[in-house]
Amino acid sequence: MEQVIEITTPIADEVIDGLQVGDMVYLSGEILCGRDGVLPKIVKMAEEGRLDELNANLTGSVIFHTAVSPAGVGPTSSNKLEIEASIAPLSQAGVKLHLGKGAIHPETVQALDQYHAVYAIIPPVTALLGAKTSEQELVAFPELGMEALYRLKVDRYPAIIGAAHGRSIYDE
Amino acid sequence: MMNDAQIIEKVRDTLVAAGSTFRDDKKNAYCRAIATESNPKAKWVLETILQNAQAAEQQRSPLCDDSGIPHLLLEVGENQAVTGRMLAAIKEGVAQGLRALPGRPMGIMGDDSHRIDQSGGLNPDSAGVEPSPILIRQTDEDVIRLHIMMFGGGPAIRAKTYRVFHKHNTQVVLDEIVDWAKEAVGLLGCSPCTLAVGIGRSHFEASSLMLQALADGSYDKQSEMEAEITRRVNQSNIGPLGLHGDTSVLATFMKVGPQRASGVRIVCLRPCCCFEPRIWSATLSE
Repeated sequence: MEQVIEITTPIADEVIDGLQVGDMVYLSGEILCGRDGVLPKIVKMAEEGRLDELNANLTGSVIFHTAVSPAGVGPTSSNKLEIEASIAPLSQAGVKLHLGKGAIHPETVQALDQYHAVYAIIPPVTALLGAKTSEQELVAFPELGMEALYRLKVDRYPAIIGAAHGRSIYDE
Repeated sequence: MMNDAQIIEKVRDTLVAAGSTFRDDKKNAYCRAIATESNPKAKWVLETILQNAQAAEQQRSPLCDDSGIPHLLLEVGENQAVTGRMLAAIKEGVAQGLRALPGRPMGIMGDDSHRIDQSGGLNPDSAGVEPSPILIRQTDEDVIRLHIMMFGGGPAIRAKTYRVFHKHNTQVVLDEIVDWAKEAVGLLGCSPCTLAVGIGRSHFEASSLMLQALADGSYDKQSEMEAEITRRVNQSNIGPLGLHGDTSVLATFMKVGPQRASGVRIVCLRPCCCFEPRIWSATLSE
């Protein structure tokens, strides 16, 4: 297997500079989890300048597009309307890596580049990811159940860079 | 005849196996794909999915966090009888299986409107996920056999049931299926897929044939039409997770039902994800 790049959160701008489409990475550290239900709410908080009310620092963060439930975690399609619509504004708010699956639109790829962030694809391997997850914490919007905002502590989640610097792996 | 408690226990264990275990023919299909895949990243994805299946089987834990909606097919032999009490026991076994797996608690509560817009909240109980209606068919064997399939949300988004004007040419229908499949697999994100196809006279019949195709299909045995669909979709270079490569589709399972004298065929295509059909079967008669 080719060389795998180790990435630890929070992610610095220099790390993003060095990532290319197709790079294989291991993600470690604290990451946030959210999907259709919660991401529009966080976008709204960002638009209203209320992110300081969120018990999470988005600067240098990773957002994993997943529910968090007793069944575990695994990527949902990042091209779902409400999820993909969150990628540009949350990148502007400081998120550096969006973790999910599926092709995203060219305008989203360009927005990632504009806000110096990347998109990575993670295989939907729930049973393996469970062994790589050591902590789980509910951060916000508990009324959303499995779709609330969660924070996980993870060790070497495997992923492939799917979009970076204006390029997408799906277009090549 | 099995008593209620025996049925409940067997259905529970069958559901857990469906949500956590690859059958041998699926494991073999992945091994064949890994051996022939030419894209190193695609090969890595295939190997990782197979490792995940081994871990899930060992732990008896979900293959995917979208643990799926239980879809049930009941086969009934000529000398067997299905009672309302047995159906109630099957339903209870499903509920216990969802709690044991554990399934993702994704049942939506509330009235019709609340369930549509998801404003009624989520049922925190894994067993709050209702199974789909049970499909019943006859079998030549003297048994009652239950197949449980766990269907995820991604393939449901990309599935399609629609009419095809066949122009008295089978190839026209196959071409349409291949076109639908290329689009669906490309958008799914969770390839390699297993394509499930039902061809019938109505949307209900085509969908039920699609379900039966998954129950009857084997990765070790493909008809000429199934092999052609698989080969042509694989030529599209979508690959595992859309990362390009030779393995967009592992196999096609197709069931063609009775057809009407008409220029139209109703085709149901479900691009099952890399884990589906997530099927396990059990005999409920002694």
